Amino acid sequence: MMAFRALLVDAYRQLSAAKLFWITMGMSIVVVLAYGSIGFNDTGMSLFFGLVDIENEFFTAGSPWTRGLYIGIYSGFLVSLWLAWAATVLALISTCTIFPEFISGGAIDLTLSKPIGRWKLFAMKYLVSLLFVVLQVLVFCIGVFLCVGLRIGEWNPAIFVAVPIVSVFYSYLYAVSVLVGMITRSGITALLITGVFWMGLWSAQTAESVLNRFMTSAQVDLDRFGEAIDRQESIVAELTDKHGENDVRVAQRREQITTWQDDMEDAQELVDDIDDWYVPVSWALTVLPKTGQTIGLLDRWLSSADGFDLAAIMRGEMEEIEDFEPTTRLAREQETQRRMVDEYRGRSLWYVIGTSLLFEMGVLALAGLIFVRRDF
Amino acid sequence: MVAGRYTLSMPTIDLHDVAKTYRGKVYALRGIEMQVPEGEIFGLLGPNGAGKSTLVKIMMTVIRPTRVSGTILGHPIGHRPTLRDVGYLPEHHRFPNYLTGTQVLHTYAALAGVERRLRRSRGVDLLNRVGLADWGHRKVSTYSKGMLQRLGIAHALMNDPKLLILDEPTDGVDPVGRREIRDLLVELRAEGRAIFLNSHLLSELEMVCDRVAILVKGQVAMQGTIETLTADSRRIEVDVEGDAPEWADEAFDTVESINGATRCALHGDDPVAVQPLIDRLRGEQRVVRAVRPVRESLEDLFMRAVEHVDSPGATERKP
Repeated sequence: MMAFRALLVDAYRQLSAAKLFWITMGMSIVVVLAYGSIGFNDTGMSLFFGLVDIENEFFTAGSPWTRGLYIGIYSGFLVSLWLAWAATVLALISTCTIFPEFISGGAIDLTLSKPIGRWKLFAMKYLVSLLFVVLQVLVFCIGVFLCVGLRIGEWNPAIFVAVPIVSVFYSYLYAVSVLVGMITRSGITALLITGVFWMGLWSAQTAESVLNRFMTSAQVDLDRFGEAIDRQESIVAELTDKHGENDVRVAQRREQITTWQDDMEDAQELVDDIDDWYVPVSWALTVLPKTGQTIGLLDRWLSSADGFDLAAIMRGEMEEIEDFEPTTRLAREQETQRRMVDEYRGRSLWYVIGTSLLFEMGVLALAGLIFVRRDF
Repeated sequence: MVAGRYTLSMPTIDLHDVAKTYRGKVYALRGIEMQVPEGEIFGLLGPNGAGKSTLVKIMMTVIRPTRVSGTILGHPIGHRPTLRDVGYLPEHHRFPNYLTGTQVLHTYAALAGVERRLRRSRGVDLLNRVGLADWGHRKVSTYSKGMLQRLGIAHALMNDPKLLILDEPTDGVDPVGRREIRDLLVELRAEGRAIFLNSHLLSELEMVCDRVAILVKGQVAMQGTIETLTADSRRIEVDVEGDAPEWADEAFDTVESINGATRCALHGDDPVAVQPLIDRLRGEQRVVRAVRPVRESLEDLFMRAVEHVDSPGATERKP
């Protein structure tokens, strides 16, 4: 414990000596201030501490839509864009040299000659290296917590869930940086390869999402057109019984059924084609870190039970559509969207975080093995 | 010998068959046998690439040996808890630039398991002892090379070690600083600590070491006290003005002319043996300029150890 505390204090000193740490902190504070400058009153909302007023009947003080918007900005933009992208890039730049410097000649001798096992030393150094992100996100969340409390009167401790979520998300990438740093002893190489790995992950996840959308959309088409054909056929049967085969409405409906059957064939063909790609991509993603879905957990956990959240608003789920025909494009798109959201939200924590952490542990085990077996 | 129970009769360092081979073909160490008694200063000499630092790093678990047996402070090499009682200053050590001198001492002492109370008191004492009392609060990035060496020695002493292993401790230190470090080493020896010194500076080692080992091509070429190693070279030299008398060639072991004088030498260090010869010279009215006991210097010893070696470093040939 004494050694861990010493390394932790050392990590803080190292970070606080780095200008980039304070630049990132300063930028985080600016982002929080911008967030806090959004206010709500009886007629709508204001920006920049009242400099700009926007009248809106939904987003007024006390409205559940306002809560959805304000929390949604936090989980949908501040965390997803600022913490999970910009701040993470800055954090990777700041920390990519930690392990290469740690194992550099003249420095590692001082540490390895102490009565601490190499595995333990490696694990402790890795954990304290995450301090950069933990501190940054913690300060950020404190600011957001105050903003949410003061602006919409909701003192919501769940906001701090971002601290472990973003830290875990960052740790997936940092583990790769540590492994590359351990192999090459170069911070720049570690940063570049981690960046390439991150982009690869992003591409794979985007590909999975796009393929999933096509698959779900085609599945919705199959379901909805199948139901519609059944319905239409029973109507045709009724019409035939009452008015005979020559009724013009029977011919129209049979034409409609034929069109839908064609659509179903197209959909089935699409499902068959995409399945060849979707299965290997989703298997690959199972063993890779799920960065996007990890950050998405925050959205999942912060969404209000009444459904008023920004993500839902952006998906168009708030639109009132009554008596719509399920075979229309809009209806099918909405159902596709809903099914996808349900599917992603239905993915277990084990799948999202567990498998990602397994990947991280594997990468760290390899880096640790190199550290333990190397002659310095 | 029972590992784990260090007694005063044991050597502080007792190495047997220490070998290190890189990639199966570069033989850096080839079966080192070495003993360092307690309370002594032991000097390890050797040309560049002879394996000195490799040996030190094996003892400090920084490098994994290919083969090793033996003990440090009664425990097998590689026994990490033993390192609590060992102080180590690596060659070309590099402290983090963002730390102050005091923070360096506290951080590494904490890693060595030294309690906070002791860290504080020892930190102040040691900074005083190495002459950095006024520099403790300054970042090490502002230190000179000599100051960093002194801080390194203080760092190695923070855990109050029974054994101190110093790799080139006077590297970059000015003559005054070197003298201070030598004095410090002598003080530490007086406190009962064993000191293992790895240095290129033969004259300095000669001044403080009780015992030395010379490493050549990963093997111990010579080992022992300086007295023992130089015993064969001991002689008494007699400088006489003018040419040597005819009988000198038979009476002395060597006779040589130097700048109009003659230097006659008799092997051994017995002053009684040379008295009749001095009497005979004086009886012939010859002027005796000087009579002195002489032995080989450490540098002579070192040169003798490496003179037959074309390349004294690691080799790719199997021993």
